[in-house]
Amino acid sequence: MTRIACFFVPMFPLAARLRSEPELLHEAMAIVEGNGNNAHVVAATRRARKKGIHTGLSLTQARSILPKLIARGRDSACERTAQEALLEVAENFSPRIEDAGDGLAFADVSGTERHYPNEEELGKAAIRAIEAIGLPARTGIAASKLASRVAAELPQTPTVVKPGEEASFLAPLPLARLSPELEAAAMLQRFGITSIGDLARLPENEIASRLGEIGRDLHFAARGIDPRPLIPRALPPEFREGMELEWPLVALEPFLFIANAALDRLSKRMEFQGFACKRIEFTLTLEPDGYDARAIDLPAPTRDVKTILTLIRLDLEKRPPGAPVIGFIFVAVPDRPRRAQLSLFGPAALSPEKLATTIARLISMLGDGRAGMPMTVDGHLPERHDIGTFAPPPPPDTRRPPPRARGLLAARTFRPPIPVEVITNGNTIASVRGENIEGTVRVCSGPWRIEEGWWRDAPAEREYWDVELWGGGIYRMYQSAASNGWFVDARFGL
Amino acid sequence: MAATARRLESQFQLLQPTIPVLLPPLPAVDSGVSEALKALKGTRGLTTGAELIEALERRRRNQVVPTALEAIDRLLDGGLARGKMTEIAGRGARLSVAVAALASATSTGEAAAFIDLADCFDPQLGESAGIDLHRMLWVRPKTLKQAVSAAEMVIATGFQLVIVDAGLPPLRGRVADAAWVRLARAAEAHGTALLVSTPYPLTGTTSEAMLRAEPSRGRWRGGLLTGVETTLRLEKHRRKRPGESVAVLFHAPEALAVGCWPLADAYTSANGQRRTANG
Repeated sequence: MTRIACFFVPMFPLAARLRSEPELLHEAMAIVEGNGNNAHVVAATRRARKKGIHTGLSLTQARSILPKLIARGRDSACERTAQEALLEVAENFSPRIEDAGDGLAFADVSGTERHYPNEEELGKAAIRAIEAIGLPARTGIAASKLASRVAAELPQTPTVVKPGEEASFLAPLPLARLSPELEAAAMLQRFGITSIGDLARLPENEIASRLGEIGRDLHFAARGIDPRPLIPRALPPEFREGMELEWPLVALEPFLFIANAALDRLSKRMEFQGFACKRIEFTLTLEPDGYDARAIDLPAPTRDVKTILTLIRLDLEKRPPGAPVIGFIFVAVPDRPRRAQLSLFGPAALSPEKLATTIARLISMLGDGRAGMPMTVDGHLPERHDIGTFAPPPPPDTRRPPPRARGLLAARTFRPPIPVEVITNGNTIASVRGENIEGTVRVCSGPWRIEEGWWRDAPAEREYWDVELWGGGIYRMYQSAASNGWFVDARFGL
Repeated sequence: MAATARRLESQFQLLQPTIPVLLPPLPAVDSGVSEALKALKGTRGLTTGAELIEALERRRRNQVVPTALEAIDRLLDGGLARGKMTEIAGRGARLSVAVAALASATSTGEAAAFIDLADCFDPQLGESAGIDLHRMLWVRPKTLKQAVSAAEMVIATGFQLVIVDAGLPPLRGRVADAAWVRLARAAEAHGTALLVSTPYPLTGTTSEAMLRAEPSRGRWRGGLLTGVETTLRLEKHRRKRPGESVAVLFHAPEALAVGCWPLADAYTSANGQRRTANG
């Protein structure tokens, strides 16, 4: 038998706003819709409701009751992301979920008996999970979408309607619970039919002849019959978080403060789904009009908010948007974090997720090309090097002893090479003078000619020497054929 | 009558004994891993998996990361102690010691990080020295503060060997003494062998051991640089009497490529480039 759970967020516009601005939870705040004289309250916090603010009041009326009332407009970006977050939580309870919009989601929970002791425990687990993402929640579980929705809207939660008891569950409830948006329900109330049970007891044909097709549907619903199937939604390819700001931001720090909270929510959502972010795209809404869209590819999939925020900061510092920001949307392109089987007896392996985060943090701190795997490059110039993505292979299962070292002399390469003045004596170098390098030469050997890239406009043509100074220091230096200048490009034995 | 008796005998005879086994029983499958496990169980009396993991972790921490340079390993009681900070300071061949340690660690399959403040590492030479470049993270910070922060990050990630090379004087920036203490604590917490290579002592009392690298002298033959000799003196060790010193000779890659001495007048170097001695 199909069992459907309904996840319901009461006063959704308010809940979505408080998810982005949790500090307003204990303030007298109302969400308003419309502009100017048409602005009216659609939801209010508990503190505001206690002072007499209720849905339907115009903003002027509300302000006359409570002058210090904080009014916020409906934020479509906040509501969209809150709805996505709700659906992601629902996906943790069932692979088949339906997006019913505005704080409502259905999940097919048939077959989950083995995961939870009973359906009430499932409902409680769902409430805990939804509250963890910053939304208040109620749940209802029944055999049909209609019954589960009505059950979820009841204040006592979770409500479980046993199979076959939909009609008896609905019967004592007021008719408005069934379909409050339908005018037919209001008409029936005028007929004196107040409860759902009263409607269910009436003959179906009589209702249909008076109210038409809507009446028939309403009668079906009153008897607990809901033939509408659950329409599963497709998985979104990305995660979004955004916000419309009350005032334009001109400085970077306040923006990053708000962005940090949004990225934190994004990270939690991705963690819930077992994803990490491999690319972050963000769009800034500018004042008075226009958008600034950017994208940052992360060096490795990560959920580390600090890393992502640092990369965003660097990007904005490098290229400021040029106008005040009045809204933003972050879109995280997800990827599976890297996994590895660690060995008990072999050398300790690195956790791929930790490594990815560290690499991303290092690059955000040092810049591109400053952290990674050193790579050899074909050629003859000693300073050649490259840096690639660091992704070490798994370590061997058992530890093996290291081979004996070759005792190789390492040269400390100077990047860039240091220009020096050289005094020559016939075919040898007599003395060298440059930045932090000065002295007469004790031994020198050379030259060795290197030529590379003869097919280019500026080929590298150098004559190399090894020199040891009397005051200490063994250097590798060269004379460039192009500029005729001398350069020290490495030091040995230091 | 006899036929009936034979029939009855055939019907009620006892089952034949099992066929004797011609081959001796196969030995139980035993791997090196289970030998290690047995040894651990035998010596420590382990009974649970948690105890085994703890014992393995303890054993790992008591080990060292050898530099594979015999003289230096002898000086340091086997190599760079895991979970401890070792400092090498002075004007000697510090980078050559660091490269040897990197080669030793990566060749055993461990991940190592080289924090290269001077941006002086040569990947070609590293590969020639035996470093498995796939297991080496090369970090190129711009200031000493960044270098210490980067070291802290990579230690927390679980790298088994982390080398911070501060480069040549003057150093780029300064860090508070507390930063070295924090770094040493991080190394201890994660069992990382930390080597700090500096032109002059920086880590103070934080390091487990301190080696002084005396200025190097070149070895020349036939007008060619064949190697560099440096003296390393143990200036401090928490578990050993200081004062001991060793002389280490590092060979130039070209001298190793030739493989024999005396050098010929002309030879081919490690990277295939033809050199001519005219010194």
